[in-house]
Amino acid sequence: MTALPPAMPASVALKKPGRERLSREQVEQFGADLDALRERTLADIGEQDARYIKRIYAAVRYTGALGRGLLFFGIFPPAWLLGTLLLAISKILENMELGHNVMHGQYDWMNDPRFDGKTYEWDIVGTSDNWRKTHNYSHHTYTNIKGMDDDVGYGVLRLFPEQRWRPFFLGQPLYAVIFALLFQWGVAIQDIRLGRYFAGRMTGAELREEFRPTGRKMRRQLLKDYVFFPLLAGPFFLPVLLGNLVANGLRNLWTFMIIFCGHFTANVEVFPKSIIKNETRGQWYLRQLRGSSNLTGSKLLHIMSGNLSHQIEHHLFPDIPARRYAEMSKEVRAICRRYGIFYNTGSLVSQFGQVIWRILRYALPSKPVSLEGKALVAD
Amino acid sequence: MPATGALKRVIAPLIDPVAFDFWAARVNPLLSWERPLARVVARQVTARDCVTLVLRPNRHVPPVQAGQHVPVTVEVDGVRLTRSYSPSHVRASHARRRGGRKDCLAITVKRIPGGRVSSHLCQEVRVGDVLELGEAFGAMTLRPDVPRWLYVAAGSGITPLMSLLRAQTAATAGVDVTLLYWARTRADLCFLDELRGLEKAAGSGQPGVRVHIILTREATLLPGEYSGRPSADLLAQLVPDLAERQVYACGTGGFVDSLRTLLADQVAGFEAEAFTLPERAAVVGAPVQVTLRRSGRVLDIPAGEALLPALEARGIHPKHGCRMGICNSCACDRISGTSENLNTGATQSEPGVVRICISAARSDMTLDL
Repeated sequence: MTALPPAMPASVALKKPGRERLSREQVEQFGADLDALRERTLADIGEQDARYIKRIYAAVRYTGALGRGLLFFGIFPPAWLLGTLLLAISKILENMELGHNVMHGQYDWMNDPRFDGKTYEWDIVGTSDNWRKTHNYSHHTYTNIKGMDDDVGYGVLRLFPEQRWRPFFLGQPLYAVIFALLFQWGVAIQDIRLGRYFAGRMTGAELREEFRPTGRKMRRQLLKDYVFFPLLAGPFFLPVLLGNLVANGLRNLWTFMIIFCGHFTANVEVFPKSIIKNETRGQWYLRQLRGSSNLTGSKLLHIMSGNLSHQIEHHLFPDIPARRYAEMSKEVRAICRRYGIFYNTGSLVSQFGQVIWRILRYALPSKPVSLEGKALVAD
Repeated sequence: MPATGALKRVIAPLIDPVAFDFWAARVNPLLSWERPLARVVARQVTARDCVTLVLRPNRHVPPVQAGQHVPVTVEVDGVRLTRSYSPSHVRASHARRRGGRKDCLAITVKRIPGGRVSSHLCQEVRVGDVLELGEAFGAMTLRPDVPRWLYVAAGSGITPLMSLLRAQTAATAGVDVTLLYWARTRADLCFLDELRGLEKAAGSGQPGVRVHIILTREATLLPGEYSGRPSADLLAQLVPDLAERQVYACGTGGFVDSLRTLLADQVAGFEAEAFTLPERAAVVGAPVQVTLRRSGRVLDIPAGEALLPALEARGIHPKHGCRMGICNSCACDRISGTSENLNTGATQSEPGVVRICISAARSDMTLDL
């Protein structure tokens, strides 16, 4: 057990509780506590985790087949509704609990090519290869560092006062709705960073070359959901097409909501680039924690969010099977309490409310806040 | 049955092989789009800690020649593990003949204490279970041009030689094979009855099959049994016409090496296969050989040094990301060798995925780079 950190001198205490800066030693001890939790959990991973991910895979297949099957009878409204819902559930499960987690390498230890993080390809218009780069690498390594983690506003939204305001952001309540509805397309083109093209830093030929794999994936997904399965339904082409469109849309809205709740709630922080200079493991852990927020809820919510309802644990331990996060979160919370570190969690309604507040508030100009000199440790 | 030939090629772009296999397995666990699978159709205990499994392969199992080895993959505690075994053919009529196009394969597994795959195959696998197979490999196959043979086996090295013997005696009458079979004790011998049967079948005066059993740890020997490790005297005593024989030997590395020293100049030809024992971890700093399979390069790298920077220092730039074991960008397949996770100190010798930014080689190693 670790000794309680000494009480903070009043001069260091900041206005929000749990934001007092820890000493270097405390941060490293905090990291060591998390490493110990990590090792304990890894040692226990085995057959039950393998069985779980196979069951998730089976659930994806069964809900998908049932959903698509019902949509063939989509001329009857109840069948259409149920079919669309089941297909949306299948896609959500596949994207979140299966695809996202497998691509993190959470199940690489199984040596099973079906669950190989390097090669898994998921059911959305974006390629897995682009995702592995923008998400696994950029977002998870440089979490919430302004200018390094593209997920901070995705280049179209201003969610933190630390981002410079431009008149463009006045329209962001509208952009956010469009972005949520088309979330999978945003994910798909994130790595291509069209901004570089418009800024003249990339030629049209380069853009086409870079876009080729994404274009191929988009074509395949579009053909599958909007040509192949509707054609298979023959005279019921239209209900199937609509069902697929709505299912994809529902998945987009849900994933947008879960992901935004993970990093853009009221108490989440952003950091300057300088923070990664000589960043230690303990400091990396602390930055992950302060840049993420959790959702409380039922087991169903956890599964349907791919356990990203435990965004904090996911950012601390991105390569540990996500089904372990619920269990780990108890200890992470206890560790945070020990060091007086704020643990950001709340209900979906409360957390998403805070996200909406950020989208609305920072559409408008605000007093600029500088990140300069922001550090996680007290020297 | 899965689609064949032209039809399969036409619909392939529409098929997700994993999804196909998921649904096909609900119908028949042997059905697969492309994976070589085999069902256990018979199980027999052949000696102490030794089990023979008769396998009926599906259509994706590539042909296996007598004397070759086949990778067998099983799932133990959620982890897929692969080991190679030397199957022998069993005519399909001996097993349940269904489909009937392909002979069955039999593998004999000796349980190694602490061996996860051999223990699983010996103790857990039952008739009806499905195993995954790989492509057969190995160069000790039938050679009709060779008239006289000397087979030398140690322990489970008997299995490829047994499969050769079966194939030879089934195909031709005038085989001339002498088999020297080393084992610790009588209870460790596999196929003894079958071997004695082959011996008798030849009849007196014919060349046929001769079997000599050599036991290294048996207290009392029966007539026809010998003791001791391979030596020039023992070999000369048991095989007077050494010089005329082509040798196939199979056993551990040490056994095969000592035989090679004793025999290579004395016989008509010498070929051997050694099964590898777990490599000992090299001490930190000692050079180990890292082979990059895709680029074909071989590098000397100090054991215990993180692989990614070590490769970069040698002008190789593998894909990577965070350099701290988080993002999985540098994950690549470790085909063989022992690696150490530098964050935890844990070592891993099982083929599998390794993150080269936080892993070091602790033995000679082959990476899929």
